[in-house]
Amino acid sequence: MPKLTIDGKEIEVAPGTNLIEAARQLGIEIPHYCYHPGLSIAGQCRLCMVDIEKAPRPTIACNTQAADGMVVATQTERVKETQRSIMEFHLINHPLDCPVCDQAGECWLQIYYMKYGLYDPRMVDEKVHKPKAVPLGPHVMLDAERCILCSRCVRFCDEITGTGELGIFHRGDQSEIGLFPGRDLENKYSGNVVDICPVGALTDRDFRFQVRVWYLDTAKSICPGCARGCNIDVHVNRRRPHHAGGKRVARLKPRFNAEVNKWWLCDEGRYGYGFVDDASRVTTPVWRSEPVPWDTAIAEVTRALGRHAPDAVGVVASPKMPNEDLMAVRRLAEALGTRQVGFKVPPRTPGDQDDLLIRADKNPNTRAAELIGLDGDVAGILTAARSGRIKALWVFGHDLFDSAWLESDVTLALGALETLIFTGTNAGRTSALAHLVLPATAWVERDGTFTNWEGRVQRFRPAVEPLGEALPEWDIVGRVLGMLGHAASATRAEHWFVDLAANVEAFRGMTYQSIGETGRMTQ
Amino acid sequence: MTEKILTRNFDRADAHTLGAYRETGGYTGWEKARTMEPAGITEEVKKANLRGLGGAGFPTGMKWSFVPKNHTGPVYLVINADEGEPGTFKDRYLLERDPHALIDGMLIAARAVRCEKAFVYIRGEYVEPYRRFAAAVKEAYEAGLLGDGLDIVVHRGAGAYICGEETGLISSLEGKKGWPKVKPPFPAIKGAFGMPTIVNNVETIAHVPHIVNRGAAWFAGLGTKTMGGTRIYSVSGRVKRPGIYEESVGITLRQLIDRAGGVSGNGRLKGVVPGGSSAPILRADEIDVTMDVDGLRNAGTMAGSAGVIVMDETVSIPEALMVVARFYAHESCGQCTPCRESTGWIYKMSERILSGHGRKEDLDTILDVAKRGAGTTICAFYDGAVGPYISYIEKFRDEFEALVTDGAGTRARATPAPVAR
Amino acid sequence: MTTVRMEFSAEQLAEVRRLQGLYPDPRGALLPVLHMAQDAFGHIPLAAEEYVAGLFGLSPAHVHEVVTFYTLYFQQPKGRHVVAICHNISCYLAGAPRILEHVKQRLGVDVDETTDDGRVTLQSVECLCACEHAPMMQVDDRYEFDLNPEKVDRILARLR
Repeated sequence: MPKLTIDGKEIEVAPGTNLIEAARQLGIEIPHYCYHPGLSIAGQCRLCMVDIEKAPRPTIACNTQAADGMVVATQTERVKETQRSIMEFHLINHPLDCPVCDQAGECWLQIYYMKYGLYDPRMVDEKVHKPKAVPLGPHVMLDAERCILCSRCVRFCDEITGTGELGIFHRGDQSEIGLFPGRDLENKYSGNVVDICPVGALTDRDFRFQVRVWYLDTAKSICPGCARGCNIDVHVNRRRPHHAGGKRVARLKPRFNAEVNKWWLCDEGRYGYGFVDDASRVTTPVWRSEPVPWDTAIAEVTRALGRHAPDAVGVVASPKMPNEDLMAVRRLAEALGTRQVGFKVPPRTPGDQDDLLIRADKNPNTRAAELIGLDGDVAGILTAARSGRIKALWVFGHDLFDSAWLESDVTLALGALETLIFTGTNAGRTSALAHLVLPATAWVERDGTFTNWEGRVQRFRPAVEPLGEALPEWDIVGRVLGMLGHAASATRAEHWFVDLAANVEAFRGMTYQSIGETGRMTQ
Repeated sequence: MTEKILTRNFDRADAHTLGAYRETGGYTGWEKARTMEPAGITEEVKKANLRGLGGAGFPTGMKWSFVPKNHTGPVYLVINADEGEPGTFKDRYLLERDPHALIDGMLIAARAVRCEKAFVYIRGEYVEPYRRFAAAVKEAYEAGLLGDGLDIVVHRGAGAYICGEETGLISSLEGKKGWPKVKPPFPAIKGAFGMPTIVNNVETIAHVPHIVNRGAAWFAGLGTKTMGGTRIYSVSGRVKRPGIYEESVGITLRQLIDRAGGVSGNGRLKGVVPGGSSAPILRADEIDVTMDVDGLRNAGTMAGSAGVIVMDETVSIPEALMVVARFYAHESCGQCTPCRESTGWIYKMSERILSGHGRKEDLDTILDVAKRGAGTTICAFYDGAVGPYISYIEKFRDEFEALVTDGAGTRARATPAPVAR
Repeated sequence: MTTVRMEFSAEQLAEVRRLQGLYPDPRGALLPVLHMAQDAFGHIPLAAEEYVAGLFGLSPAHVHEVVTFYTLYFQQPKGRHVVAICHNISCYLAGAPRILEHVKQRLGVDVDETTDDGRVTLQSVECLCACEHAPMMQVDDRYEFDLNPEKVDRILARLR
């Protein structure tokens, strides 16, 4: 393990560690553009210069591996002058787009200029002009003038997705990022190039001109788009509700997790939060098409479920529900005495899967639903509903008409029920048939945990307030349990997690604390 | 009179044929080298003080010795025939008039570095030289000189000066843009196609058979203490007899200009660029320097590719700056930020100065930008560019000041110069 | 989208494979094969880039990078002859700008343009490394040395 000194501080690092990472471990920032820990070394921006003892000139840190006895200085006058020079070189042809550029506030030209530049610009000649506002596929917008040609996006498409759509054409200061003319940025991870672009050359089309980043708040979360459970940050706009068309969730960004998604996020997950602020959100409890208070709704649910024999009551839980809520459903099923509980609804189009992040199972919590023991035969439940053996059915989340089952079968099954209860975030055709519709919070509006396909339990945090009167499913179920006479002692999702960890072997010993920021594997 | 070694056959009409080459002692160096140990060949080349003649002047034997001894895979020898340094044309002659000399040298060099496959990268514009050399390679295969121990692949470039930089050349050989590679690793360790690679200039390799034949001491004695042999000077510009001149590396610049007939134009020397356009210019009072690597380095310039460009007093240095600045802006590969952005900017400023819209502070801006960028780039292209940027302005400042306004350095935007490309 | 089909003949394809076999990584043959494509098709349009990309298993973007980087590859149709006049330092000192103006006038085109009859494309280029014969130019495969307006006229007249 090489031991080296940076700015007078000694540190031992793993072999193969470059100086940017070694310095980072000491809390020392070495500014850089083209370096990215998930991509190959480019050594093009020339910003990460450091002074190394015995080296006649400053050296780039990204391409220098820590060596035993190395003495590195990042704060010498020479390094500072070099950084200032490199900042000037980067800004020579850069357009003064800040007032109209989405990157403002999180732009590394701005940030590093303030820290390492602060010179008076002296470029008075005409700057090089290149194409602006060029769509690259459905999600990404290119401004070639703003591009600093760090090549991160090109390397991403070559090394991570293997699709090679992007290139740097021509040469000299005529160099330009672009697609092969006539082709599109077609891979399923195109949004990642926006993350890794240090400047406003590559921006999100759906975020374009919506809201300034300094108005955004953030919460750590997990993407619910598939069973991978990519770690994300949810960026929300609470402070400027008149921006972004009133959407509270402004965007999702990947959060680094070495074991799950590294730095990346697929487009479907990244851009799949639209339902949260959509007009189809259910916001108040509804009974027989009339809005009612929660107490009334809960009372009616309890009555509807309680007046039948146990196996005449069915529950279709959702593998989109968090661990805590699934545990609550299990307790409900036990309290009702029914074994007619399932969660698997076959999708109309089977999901696709790849070697990178995307899982065919488009649900974030299938693993937990299995482990918690909710894996009954939903097709059988619907058949029983059709034949009148099941009289009351509580459906969580699913719109059964979007499944692989025949719409006519679903209609007959749901139509035969005495009571259909729907709990979910957005209205659909199943909720339209329901006697009782109970609004659930979206995952960004609450906390909880998901268990990914490998059995990794990960926490997500609330980013915004629940919409309208929506409640988390664990709370809705808990209130019903309370009315059924079972002590409803849970006032937080965590209480349900405690119940889960105590009673389901796979989760034994886990706490919210032990899960931490990177998750914990089930037994 | 210096003995003609490299240029001895140049005036024979059939010099490029195998028959003619053998007649004048060709391939005897290779015959002798075949009996030598590879390390022994390298030692001889080291003792001869042969230095790279493409521009960098790096000791050739030392470069060969960098190939890792314990490497078990292929080692590649790559000949840099991408001659492109303005003012240089010697390799064109070697390829056209004595291609077998290069093959002869390659056989020996390949043995020294244990290479079985070599590449010759010829600039795309050199069509006739390419045909001559390819024909010579064919003759060599037919004569059994090649194909039994060494294969040569002749590869044409497609028009980019930066492919003369050894790792830019390697990138181009690999089928990519001619982007130089970040170093380390150095080519001798990891070069073309990921293997140890030795890149040598045409002329450098052409010397090797003579070194083997006549000995390192002889070769070293032809030159100076730190650089052996002769080299072919390309002399052009305002001289009476522009052309190639093979002389000792110890000749002085003054003597060389005399050999070329002396200054033309108005007959009075203003300045000389001694080593291709990337070499800082020397004033008329600075030409009593020996043309070897150390001699010119000590004079604040460089031996480079030995492209000697003579300028008489009627030459406008600000115009010359615009011409070379245009060249560097056009040839910058664009990979790294300092070079990509400032070569274009400095060219624009040089045009603006000529157009009469320059300001005094622009001269200091060019100098400052050049000095800040030097040493920060992936390759030495930019260091070559700053050679003229800095030396033309510093040594001929009065010519520039005559063109610029005595500005108060206002921040008001100067009239933009037309972007000529 | 590209519509014109560009393909090599069976013989040319065999040559492509032979070239690819010369290099430790077949990609090394890309520049030679692009020269072949230009010789075969006259220039290298996008369709040819896609075709060549397919022969190498490369993304078209990476072939486009190569074609746009090097000056000898023409992306647009060029004249039957290419006249490239050097404008670098030694040729400049020998009067290259005057030669260029003369040629522009004679041909009635500007730099990077082709005459209406498709005969000549004019270029103004960097050092061709024939400075001892400045001012000079390259006409197709040949270097033409020691130019003056009369010599230039004779050379242009021979171009059909």
